[in-house]
Amino acid sequence: MKRAIPVVVLSIAGLVPVWLYEPSAATSTVQAATPAAPSTPATSPSSSSAGTSSSTVVAGSTVNTEKGPVQVEVTFDGDEISSVRMLQQPNHPQTTAAVPKLIASTLQVQSADIDTVSGATITTDGYKESLQAAIDAKG
Amino acid sequence: MRRVEQVMGFPVSLRIDDASVPESAADAVFAWLHQVDARFSPFKPDSEVSRLDRGELSDPSEDLTEILDLCEHYRTATGGAFDVRLPGRGLDPCAVVKGWSVQRAAELLRAAGAKRFCLNAGGDVVTAGGPWRVGVRHPEHADQLCTVLHLTDGAVATSARYERGDHIIDGRTGRPATGLLSLTVVAPTLTEADSVATAAFAMGTEGVHWAAGLEGCEVFAVDAGRQVLRTPGFPTARTGATVA
Repeated sequence: MKRAIPVVVLSIAGLVPVWLYEPSAATSTVQAATPAAPSTPATSPSSSSAGTSSSTVVAGSTVNTEKGPVQVEVTFDGDEISSVRMLQQPNHPQTTAAVPKLIASTLQVQSADIDTVSGATITTDGYKESLQAAIDAKG
Repeated sequence: MRRVEQVMGFPVSLRIDDASVPESAADAVFAWLHQVDARFSPFKPDSEVSRLDRGELSDPSEDLTEILDLCEHYRTATGGAFDVRLPGRGLDPCAVVKGWSVQRAAELLRAAGAKRFCLNAGGDVVTAGGPWRVGVRHPEHADQLCTVLHLTDGAVATSARYERGDHIIDGRTGRPATGLLSLTVVAPTLTEADSVATAAFAMGTEGVHWAAGLEGCEVFAVDAGRQVLRTPGFPTARTGATVA
């Protein structure tokens, strides 16, 4: 029975990355994480273990679906499919298709001649020192 | 004509460039905003919002119904991140009321014949008859900008934590939204720009993508790691000088 404990612990540990996973900032697609090991052939007693050298990996073409591009990679063991892996998949199934690619850059400090300032709702105290107050005062 | 007045607890700056527009047009704008404050502030016990929240208002006005419908729309669209009825708190539709009422004020100006004006309500801006150059406040330096944009006819709203602290709550967790430093939305109306900015800010980084996917919305966001994410269509002004 004691042996069950490490097994359970390892199973839970294996799930941690899943819990920690948050949809990343990438916009359209993500490269699917490489699976730790395609476990099906190893654990399945029915698969003929002879075929490791005869396995071929084929990447499918990218299919643009309603939710974003999808591309799969299939590993054949002889004539049988031994594993299927996602190379590309929609990041946010509900929204990805409509989201334009965001442009990332570093935060800059600018000063320029402007007519007005957009910012978080400023309080009366904050206003006194704000750029908008300076613009209003200048008239 | 330039006017600045405190309404709803923040300064409202109005600039009208048409010489033909009378002062009374500006008076009407501020009168409307004071009226909105009296009717929809959750901090005034006799406002429509407070009375509705206490169950004393059986037949909400058309305006209040419109505001609550907008709130419900954004609650659903953000999976509950934006919520004006947080557990343990009173009904607080301020985020939607602000943009909605300032947009209405801009329409009052148009109806009075104003063609070129800029109305800035505590950092949320409606413009007409541009070009207007709108700076976006730097999230870490009150006297600096992080970008400048060009706007002809449209609206800009920014949500951030730097002025009033962690006041935007992610309704899904009940905790303050901390994924972003600042998020700016450009949209055809301030009703949309302000609601989307607040709702997206509540969602965190995920909200940047959500807002970017909305028709007519352009987004400029600064995340907690000081990275800028913007949509390709964000109307950045090219001439802003960069200070080292």
